[in-house]
Amino acid sequence: MTALVHAPAFGLALTLLAYLGAGELHRRLGRPAVLAPVLVATVVVAVALEVLGIGYREYLASVSVLTLLLGPATVALALPLLREGRALLVARSAVLVTLLVTGLVSVGVTVGALEVLGVADDLVRTALPRSVTTPVALTLADTIGAVATLTVVLTLVSGVLGAVVGPALLSLVRVRDPRARGFAIGLTSHGIGTSRALAESEVAGGWSSAAMVLNALVMTAALPLVARSFGG
Amino acid sequence: MSAPAARDPSERGWGAHVPAGLAALGVLLALQLLGTLLVSVLHLPVPGAVVGLVLLVALGARHRGLRRRVEPAGDPLLRHLQLLFVPPGVGIVTESSRLASAAGPLALAVAGSFAAGLVVAGVVLQALLRRSARRGTPPA
Repeated sequence: MTALVHAPAFGLALTLLAYLGAGELHRRLGRPAVLAPVLVATVVVAVALEVLGIGYREYLASVSVLTLLLGPATVALALPLLREGRALLVARSAVLVTLLVTGLVSVGVTVGALEVLGVADDLVRTALPRSVTTPVALTLADTIGAVATLTVVLTLVSGVLGAVVGPALLSLVRVRDPRARGFAIGLTSHGIGTSRALAESEVAGGWSSAAMVLNALVMTAALPLVARSFGG
Repeated sequence: MSAPAARDPSERGWGAHVPAGLAALGVLLALQLLGTLLVSVLHLPVPGAVVGLVLLVALGARHRGLRRRVEPAGDPLLRHLQLLFVPPGVGIVTESSRLASAAGPLALAVAGSFAAGLVVAGVVLQALLRRSARRGTPPA
């Protein structure tokens, strides 16, 4: 049993099987957003590591292939942007204004809330990249001196929040244009939100992934500057 | 079984002897590393992979062939991007005490900035798109 559990490929196999199983469960239950496969798989793997007594370092070494793939996956984010290129160019000023205003509001609210509540500076930095798509958020977390795992969790929470309450909240404030709905969801809940927006319509999905990529670019440029004022 | 269909341009030319997905992964990695090189040479404050993304946007906008070449790896990677977040997510177990100590403020900040950002983005973009449609700009 020990030989199996501590085999170099064990962590990778565990992760893949947990993801496959979580995806299957998700599909059979009618795709409830709260049970996003990534959340279920994460919990399953975390529990399995605890029970089997495998350290986090050993696990990370086993799944280094997945960590490596974050790079090419980030580069591939260019594809949705290229697909929506023409529509985005036509509406470029509207898109740019929306990006900047939303960026200011969301960073402002994050920093404001955490400062007022007296949270430590490194946690403020950790909360900053939460609306950025995870592969970019991870590298950003590194750059601005945030706690990487915590950043990932906050990012996942944002994504699930967007998928669960995003569409209803947008309907509540009467945003009906599929382009605006998709863009808003992609801007605040990146990949997880994008898969939800895709379920709404092709257009919403396209604008959502474009928003996710543009937001990643803007935040990559802006967050290191913001983080500097919190000792980053 | 015999001759492979030669209609798809991605199956012809350079790198045609390996599966399209593998060749595509090679191109994505090359772009990432080119980005990393540019970052270190030009002392850019951004991750190499993000520079690779920008390179692919710039090159792919002109060369459709390049886009088609990276799609066999890019599309499946993006569709299952979430798989790649499981390992860092699992690390939360080691950070759980830290999270618990600031759970309230963090939850408030995340939920607050999420809701504010979502509403602002949706309302602003919808208003701007409507205005430009009224001005006679063709709808996107």
